[in-house]
Amino acid sequence: MSTATRAPLSLDPRVCGRSVPSSDRTALPSVLGGDLADIGTAPRLLALAALNEIRGHADGRAPDPAVFTEAARLFAVATLDGESPQDYVDRVCQATGLTSSAVGQAVRDLVEEMEELPATTAAELPATGFGEGFDTRWVPRGKVFAAVMASNHPVPNISWVQALFHGYNVLVKPGSRDPFTPARLLAALVAAGLPPTKAAFLPCSREVGEFLLREADRGIIYGGEKAVATWHQRESVAVRGPGRTKALLDVPADDAVMDHLALSASFDGGTRCTNLSAVLTTGPVGEVADRLAERLGRLPSLPASDEGATLLVVNRARAAQLREQVAVLRAALTDHSARAGEEETVVELEDGSFLLRPVVLSVDSAGHPALGTELPFPFVVVAPWSEADGVAPLRDSLVLNLLTDREELVEAALREPSVRKVTRGRVLPWTAVPGIPHDDNYTQFLLEPKGLVAQG
Amino acid sequence: MTQMTDPGFDSHIRKLMGWHFGADTGSPFWLGKLSGLGFDPLTEVQTLSDLTRFPDVSSELRSVPAQDLIPAGLADRPFRVYDSGGTTGSPKRVVDSAYRSLMTVWGRERLLANGVPPHGNWLHLGPSGPHVIGFDTARYAALGGGIFYTVDLDPRWVKRLLSQGRAADADEYVQHLLDQAETILESQDVTVLNTTPPLLEAICARPRLYELVRTRIRAIIWAGTSISGESLRQLSEVFFPTASVVGVYGNSLMGVAPQRAARPGDTHPCVFEPFPDTTRLQLVDDDGEPVAYGERGRVRLHLVAEEMFLPNILERDTAVRVEPVPGSPVDGLADVQTYRSLDDVTIIEGVY
Repeated sequence: MSTATRAPLSLDPRVCGRSVPSSDRTALPSVLGGDLADIGTAPRLLALAALNEIRGHADGRAPDPAVFTEAARLFAVATLDGESPQDYVDRVCQATGLTSSAVGQAVRDLVEEMEELPATTAAELPATGFGEGFDTRWVPRGKVFAAVMASNHPVPNISWVQALFHGYNVLVKPGSRDPFTPARLLAALVAAGLPPTKAAFLPCSREVGEFLLREADRGIIYGGEKAVATWHQRESVAVRGPGRTKALLDVPADDAVMDHLALSASFDGGTRCTNLSAVLTTGPVGEVADRLAERLGRLPSLPASDEGATLLVVNRARAAQLREQVAVLRAALTDHSARAGEEETVVELEDGSFLLRPVVLSVDSAGHPALGTELPFPFVVVAPWSEADGVAPLRDSLVLNLLTDREELVEAALREPSVRKVTRGRVLPWTAVPGIPHDDNYTQFLLEPKGLVAQG
Repeated sequence: MTQMTDPGFDSHIRKLMGWHFGADTGSPFWLGKLSGLGFDPLTEVQTLSDLTRFPDVSSELRSVPAQDLIPAGLADRPFRVYDSGGTTGSPKRVVDSAYRSLMTVWGRERLLANGVPPHGNWLHLGPSGPHVIGFDTARYAALGGGIFYTVDLDPRWVKRLLSQGRAADADEYVQHLLDQAETILESQDVTVLNTTPPLLEAICARPRLYELVRTRIRAIIWAGTSISGESLRQLSEVFFPTASVVGVYGNSLMGVAPQRAARPGDTHPCVFEPFPDTTRLQLVDDDGEPVAYGERGRVRLHLVAEEMFLPNILERDTAVRVEPVPGSPVDGLADVQTYRSLDDVTIIEGVY
């Protein structure tokens, strides 16, 4: 991952297939120290000009589905805008601190999700024929879609690709640390035959991204609690905030179960919104937390480029910020990682990056406010749960992993509106096939049914 | 190191020390400070660099009775009070009788040099009332024989909404302002628009109003908040390619510093210069020393006029120091931005 000898990398907004160099520049720092890239950012007026142009071309027609399978292939294997697949992986690793194996997995997942778009669509829409002359057509709910992305992981970029698939024209605000994934996806799509006038790539501030969301017909926003707070009430915007994925451990905690929980928390360095962040248990809290801390403590401290690496690295500034934030929590709660010999949240690596060690803490009640704390690395709070606590402590979960035989509780969890997906047994939280919603029916968020009746 | 000699301004300073610290001519405010200064301005203040011996009195302008700011030598003249916008807490007050009128004659020449038509009617979509920009803009229109249209804008209300996180309410207020601007432009003949970067962005996002401005307005003057280089390029090249887009930096205390005419070799699209007769803007580092050309520094104001004396005032802005044009006694300022940590008061840049 040496870039010292390379020319400085530079990336600018792209509108309708053209590069639009901006005189407003911002440096994208590398986790190894220094700057990785020089990014041209779009102020509001550039974004408005792009929006006007994109809207002018928006006709609501879906591109040929073959574009998406070919784009998936190119995304994985082609050199696009001078960027080889390995360049792409290196850049995302250095910018986000994800391990190269996590980014490699993300490429495979994105390819699969793009190839599955027709299957996903079929699975998420009901049948449309209602007898001779009676049809329902599923059409886009608008013409222009805006996506405000985060940088925690490349795979969420599938959300705006899906909007393109259904016929929207799309404006993408990339995450500030990962402009590379949307830029490469867009390059692959255009190379595969997507009309360039279908999309704009606009690195910009959060404020400009929110301006695009307000102006677009439909949109999606990813981010932390504060970033997404004002968007919950807006019907035209899908909100992807903190996942607060939880597990209820109500079976004997054998090694297989503990390994499952450790993997749920630490896969991809704990960066997914579906990574486990809380365990509620009917068993002995201290023992469960100690065993989880011990397992997570075995994960090696390796540079992100190492094939054996699993944990996230960050740059010096972000490390300092996270260390301080976590220190408050470690001091206030029972610190099982410290008991397992892990005093430090942050470890400085030889390549200049800072690795975030897993942290397991416990609290003494299911209603403790620390439950639901979501941090961008393996961070788990363990709490007691008893039947008297009911479903309340399990609320606000993107995924709820129920390791229990209590059928009543499974039913109650499924009926709880703030629980978005339920898994049972040793199932990793993100496990799905087309038709299993991540968070509601996203195809129907993009499309609406219209009656088409033709007689005589 | 890069401090230039400025004999004309130095002699102006010496003359006005006699005025502001003369028992019969000075203001109660400055005469009251005399004994506590620790130096004699009449003999010890000889040049521009000596002005930094004065304390920064800008905070006192928030509470001193404005009457006390009027020099005794001008007691027979009518004065009025103007406020700073109140970006950082309660407003600072200045007094003005004829000074701004004099400065706007010079300022108008600068605007014309940048392509603002000499005649024609003006629309001021910005603050008026206690905010001096409303007066200045009315003067520009009057000097060219133009009619002056305006819309009420209370910038403090907008800042209050934004500081409370009420962005939707702030936007509703902005749309209310734009409704009124649109009404004026629908039927009235307007040539020059004076407004702020955030309001220009809002105008561009309203198709009908944007068309009216694009097709009717020959010159757009922006002031009041900072603007990025790319935003400026978008305004002048993409949204209003046939109009002159001209910036004016300034505030109640310093007066106006309009954009100077572009010169070959300029690396900044917009370079501001203050009124050289009375005003020096220095760009200084954290130790108060002037930064080198091409470097960014915080703005330090020295205003030496008959009606007001405001030496050694550290402003809320930073800018890049630009070499003066040949024959000019003043540096240029480019890429003005808000200084980030000022006495722990959160700075809110609203629509003005």
